Amino acid sequence: MTAGPGTEEAQPVTSALQSAPMPRKVTAKKLIVTPIVIVLALIGTYVWISNVSLDPIEKNSLSGALVRQALWQHIRLTAYSTFFVLVIAIPLGIALTRGGVRKASPVATAIANLGQSIPSIGLLALLTFWLGIGPRTALVGMVAYAVLPVLSNTMSGLRGIDPQLVDAARGIGMSGFGVLTKVELPLAVPLILAGVRNALVLNVGTGTLAGFVSGGGLGTLITNGIVTQRTRVLIVGSVLAVALALFVDWLASLAELQLTPRGLEES
Amino acid sequence: MSFWDFVGSRRQQLLMDTYQHASAVFQCMVVAAVIGIGIGMLTYRNERAGRLAIATTVTIMTIPSYALLGLLIPALGLGVPPTVTALVLYALLPIVRNAIVGLRGVDPSLVDAARGIGMSRAAQIARVELPVAWPTILTGIRVATQMLMGIAAIAAFASGPGLGNEIFAGISSLGSANSLNQVLAGTLGIVVLALLFDAALVLIGRLTTSRGIRA
Repeated sequence: MTAGPGTEEAQPVTSALQSAPMPRKVTAKKLIVTPIVIVLALIGTYVWISNVSLDPIEKNSLSGALVRQALWQHIRLTAYSTFFVLVIAIPLGIALTRGGVRKASPVATAIANLGQSIPSIGLLALLTFWLGIGPRTALVGMVAYAVLPVLSNTMSGLRGIDPQLVDAARGIGMSGFGVLTKVELPLAVPLILAGVRNALVLNVGTGTLAGFVSGGGLGTLITNGIVTQRTRVLIVGSVLAVALALFVDWLASLAELQLTPRGLEES
Repeated sequence: MSFWDFVGSRRQQLLMDTYQHASAVFQCMVVAAVIGIGIGMLTYRNERAGRLAIATTVTIMTIPSYALLGLLIPALGLGVPPTVTALVLYALLPIVRNAIVGLRGVDPSLVDAARGIGMSRAAQIARVELPVAWPTILTGIRVATQMLMGIAAIAAFASGPGLGNEIFAGISSLGSANSLNQVLAGTLGIVVLALLFDAALVLIGRLTTSRGIRA
């Protein structure tokens, strides 16, 4: 997922789990345009809010401390959940493409596909009956929701590797572990990174729902705005959430650019 | 009260919510398919226009759905208008992308042959290019439908219709006797609807895919 009029290598979306586009060249234009748009939107919102007279409810909801807290909670939720997603999904994806376990991978894919049809808000709400309310519940829900795309991207990345390359690596005497770390994983990096980027964006999105289970985050501002019918609160929360999503996606696109193995660029 | 007792006693309300959920997703899907395929047809022949269409829809997808609703409410009010707008916007990416990729993937020699036997440009699109690209486009529609099911649930908080109302009613009455049943009924209802819609779309695919390209 990308923002702004960047270069987009089009490929069909075949499943909800593989909707992440292939990595692409990130043009200088895109690298600069996205942050400029984000900063302008934030400055615009700030100037607007500072120049209108707010009623007491709005002043309360939009106090600097509260907004900063919500933003910080959101960033933390996103960072933690993405970390856990990576720690769970990448090793699991590797395991499910190895030897005997490989037979289990259709089952895993089926479960993942079914899991994807559970609405995120329903999943979060159901988790509260098991784990109670709070940030921890939100975190578990976010991780559960984002594990699927990274898992399936890791698996299809490893499966899509030309078997001849693996054969060649074996032929020059590499061990199974050597083949995995020196050949298979580097070749799968673009797809894995696309999955990670997808997970980050998903996590910012699911994070806006954390407020419903008392998990904090920018969703609380949006919810406050809707419940108290204060449009300005609503807009500040929404603009911040959108800006965060675009910013995180932009950061992830930088990471893709940096981490894609040299030999795979321009392919 | 057990879950099934709950479902029995609330049958009327649940059926109503299920129907509204299905109908909202279905109608938005149709609108998004028409707009998305239209955008695809207008842009697939031009490299830059295609890129712009995909980049724009990708940006929409990046925006959290709850935040997009938040931005639509001040302009459109609560209820159906922001719900429909959000659902259509989110459905566009998979459809536009797959329409462009599908139409670009049509073997140029086929189009050439169609022109050779004297087909007009419109006939080439309607009778050759769209039918060949249709399975890819339909896959995009399936992905979009799946996604809309969940986004429609969130839209219930902005007074949108559908099963999301059960989930939010459950959340706001946490601890009461029926809160778990409500959340469960809403969530399972959406899962079942998602699976039914997907099965229906697969069936539609079987019936509408041109015989010559059927696998």
